[in-house]
Amino acid sequence: MTGFLDISFLTVQVLSALRLAAFLFLISSGLTLIFGVLNILNFAHGALYMLGAYFMFWVTSQVTGPGGFFLAMAMAPLGVALIGMILEMGLLRRIYIQEEIYQLLLTYALVLIIDDLAKIVFGAEYKSIPKPAFLEGAITLFGGTVPTYTILVVVIAPTVAALLWYLLYRTKTGKVIRATSSDREMADALGINMKALFTLVFAFGAVLAGFGGALAGPARTVFPGVGTEVIIECFVVVVIGGLGNLWGALVGSLLIGALETVGIIVFPEFEMGLIYLLMVAVLVVRPWGLFGKPLKIKALSEKNLSFESQEISPVHFSSRPWLWVIPVVLLLIFPAFAGRFYQYLLTQIFVAALMAVAFNLLLGTTGLLSFGQAAFFGVGAYTVGLLLTKTGTGTMPALGLSLFTSAVAASVIGFFCVRLTGVHFAMLTLAFGQLIFAIAFKWYGFTGGDNGIQGIPVREIPLAGLGLLDIGSTKSMYYFVLVVAGLAVAFLRRVRSSPFGATLKAIRENGQRASYLGINVTLYQWTAFVIAGTFTGLAGGLFALMERSISPEIIHWTKSADPVLMTIIGGIYTFVGPAVGAVVLIVLNSYIVAWTEYWALVLGMVLLLLVLLLPGGVIGFVNEKARDYLTRSGWIRRWLFSKSATS
Amino acid sequence: MAFLEVRDIVKSFGGLRALQDVSLSVEKGEIRAIIGPNGAGKSTLFNVMTGLLSPDSGEVRFDGERISGIPPYRVIRKGIGRSFQITNIFPRMSVFENVQVALFSHHRENRSALTLARNFREVTDEVLAVLGLVGLADKFDSSASVLSHGDQKRLEIAITLACRPRLLMLDEPTAGMSRFESRETIALLQKISREQGLTLVFTEHDMDIVFGISEKITVLQQGMVIADGEPAEIKANPEVRKAYLGEEIAE
Ligand SMILES: Nc1ncnc2c1ncn2[C@@H]1O[C@H](COP(=O)(O)OP(=O)(O)OP(=O)(O)O)[C@@H](O)[C@H]1O
Ligand SMILES: [Mg+2]
Repeated sequence: MTGFLDISFLTVQVLSALRLAAFLFLISSGLTLIFGVLNILNFAHGALYMLGAYFMFWVTSQVTGPGGFFLAMAMAPLGVALIGMILEMGLLRRIYIQEEIYQLLLTYALVLIIDDLAKIVFGAEYKSIPKPAFLEGAITLFGGTVPTYTILVVVIAPTVAALLWYLLYRTKTGKVIRATSSDREMADALGINMKALFTLVFAFGAVLAGFGGALAGPARTVFPGVGTEVIIECFVVVVIGGLGNLWGALVGSLLIGALETVGIIVFPEFEMGLIYLLMVAVLVVRPWGLFGKPLKIKALSEKNLSFESQEISPVHFSSRPWLWVIPVVLLLIFPAFAGRFYQYLLTQIFVAALMAVAFNLLLGTTGLLSFGQAAFFGVGAYTVGLLLTKTGTGTMPALGLSLFTSAVAASVIGFFCVRLTGVHFAMLTLAFGQLIFAIAFKWYGFTGGDNGIQGIPVREIPLAGLGLLDIGSTKSMYYFVLVVAGLAVAFLRRVRSSPFGATLKAIRENGQRASYLGINVTLYQWTAFVIAGTFTGLAGGLFALMERSISPEIIHWTKSADPVLMTIIGGIYTFVGPAVGAVVLIVLNSYIVAWTEYWALVLGMVLLLLVLLLPGGVIGFVNEKARDYLTRSGWIRRWLFSKSATS
Repeated sequence: MAFLEVRDIVKSFGGLRALQDVSLSVEKGEIRAIIGPNGAGKSTLFNVMTGLLSPDSGEVRFDGERISGIPPYRVIRKGIGRSFQITNIFPRMSVFENVQVALFSHHRENRSALTLARNFREVTDEVLAVLGLVGLADKFDSSASVLSHGDQKRLEIAITLACRPRLLMLDEPTAGMSRFESRETIALLQKISREQGLTLVFTEHDMDIVFGISEKITVLQQGMVIADGEPAEIKANPEVRKAYLGEEIAE
């Protein structure tokens, strides 16, 4: 470790940390500005960064030489700003009144679409952007060799920060923007044209992202999907600094830049996990980030209340069990008519549906958007995988233990997360999820690292005195998963229709009022978190049995997006919605992948249309119609009175 | 000691002293109005008394127990019900469910996760009874968010009453209601508190209502109690007259 005392070594490291921080700051300052004013956590911000880099690539390939380079550097932010304006005016503007989840989802859909469009236009390969000769070399500073380009970046970023400060603190528009981000009603009262302001701020955020991309492009490379890597890092930065706070973004960028640089030297094994560890640590101590303030709870008048009729409420549920018998019988006789491919497809759907239904106990019922469900899926899957490969544990005990381990993980993680709400809750669950991902990915000795676990033996299940049940074949696995997942879903259904479920729903609707009924809100949220995590773990356990091999990918945050998508497709305020969403997503996936390589584009379009046209999801729409009909025909009224003890 | 004792409460927001040494005591079964001009600190006092805010100093005692500084859900469990100035209900739940969930909480049945809510028939009956009381029985199956403002206010009262509080604290229960609706609501509250022996503490801007039903009145101004006593004393108090200069009390 004498290296640390060496000044040339230090110079090189400090500059590389600063360079990283500079890139992070350019991108996350736009992200945090947009959040501050529009209250939208823009997933597509990373995609805008990518577009900036591609603009840079395209312009420099058309106009060569230093002139082309600087022209590109100027054009890229403007091009991205234009795209940003189109997106804001054409799409985002339509959903400001919706709940957070729809805004997140719309920007997520944009990521999928923009990434695939980039693939179509520029190809899937990594592109490097040429630098003019005078920026190509390196200079020697205190004995260390530093690329000239790094010096450029490290000089430009503070300049941009100073400019930003000037614009926000010294110009009239800047003052208006700051006023809006701290007090929307006040700005409203001042008669500020909010529509124009929102567009302006979004475009300005896009300029910063585009410029970040243009500046980073020549230093890194650009490829479709690079935005997804960048955006998660920026989320970490702005959440640590405090959402909506510019100085927070600056401090967060410096912290992450330093941590990653030190991490690579000191803990090369766990560098990726470190930033999530930092994020978790900061949020546990300061839930709203270093410089952040608690977000104002939306007043009821600010909420979109149009979905009330989509949830045929528990008291309104039909008590006709035969309605459930039909699908159950169909599923039971299905393997008689369908081949192994379809049996396997349905088994996948059962597992995904269980995960989604469990997830929706949090989102749809309790109103908590967890973005880290993959962690519990992974804990369950690894529990089963490790027990079966490394010990002689039976299949059922292993599955039972997966319930236990995921419950433990969910209780611990939930303890910290339920103190937060909204986007902060989502970000903390994301951080915990990524932390677990990093552990599974790097701990070769225990989890097999990025190789995962292969060849998981699925042992026969002893049936007390009735011999052994072999679930090795596709068909028997189909039945096994159907029964286990089916029972779990039935359990969750009951929970949701119980007084406990009604309490969760009340918490979703109005936590403050719920606490004024004598309800310990955080305790109930925590319990819901544990139940959801436990059943997600069971889904993971089933997944390990079904696939017989697992890899850390199943814990990655993109996997946490799956249940979110399924829930939105099917209907957030319905019970079966997420399961229907699982069917739609998996069937679409397996067919569209065979038909085009642009699966993400198709999915993105589907999500976009859904968010804009059918925000209650497929089942939400059906329920709304059904409830209208039942109300009009007076059926609900009669039915309820028939349930009263006195009648 | 009185049923409800508020002692020397101080609460500041930054530099603003919203409550300065506020003390008052309410006897069991009393109907008490807390009045004062806008921004006097009435809602802040309610928030301190029900645990939404912790006082900087001072304490609140209810039935002999200290209740200041503990979270609202525990204050409520001691037998206090509170409604809010700005309507506070569960918007995307039916009127029925709004009251049902309050009753589940009151009976501590909201922990049962494996019995269907609709099988709690006594609760169903109780819900319908409470809704009947406030005149919302017909609307039980409509969504709370589509009710008229007056009905939403009534629903909030129903939710609050469902928990069978011994002390009812209503922050402007008639805000935004028509004159006719206000009278009706107040008559109802008076009737319920008489019948059930409830203690009622409320804030209200309509002086006819205040002097019509309250047994004692506390007047707040700029965070301080400037008068406390029977309606007749309050009416005669010169400071109160000054505070309400030009308003209806100066008739
Ligand atoms: N959370 C808060 N943060 C900062 N200031 C607050 C807060 N709540 C109330 N205030 C201030 O405290 C003072 C008292 O407000 P409060 O709402 O208690 O008045 P009020 O008597 O209920 O008025 P009204 O009749 O308008 O309801 C006001 O000046 C208000 O602006
Ligand atoms: Mg008030």
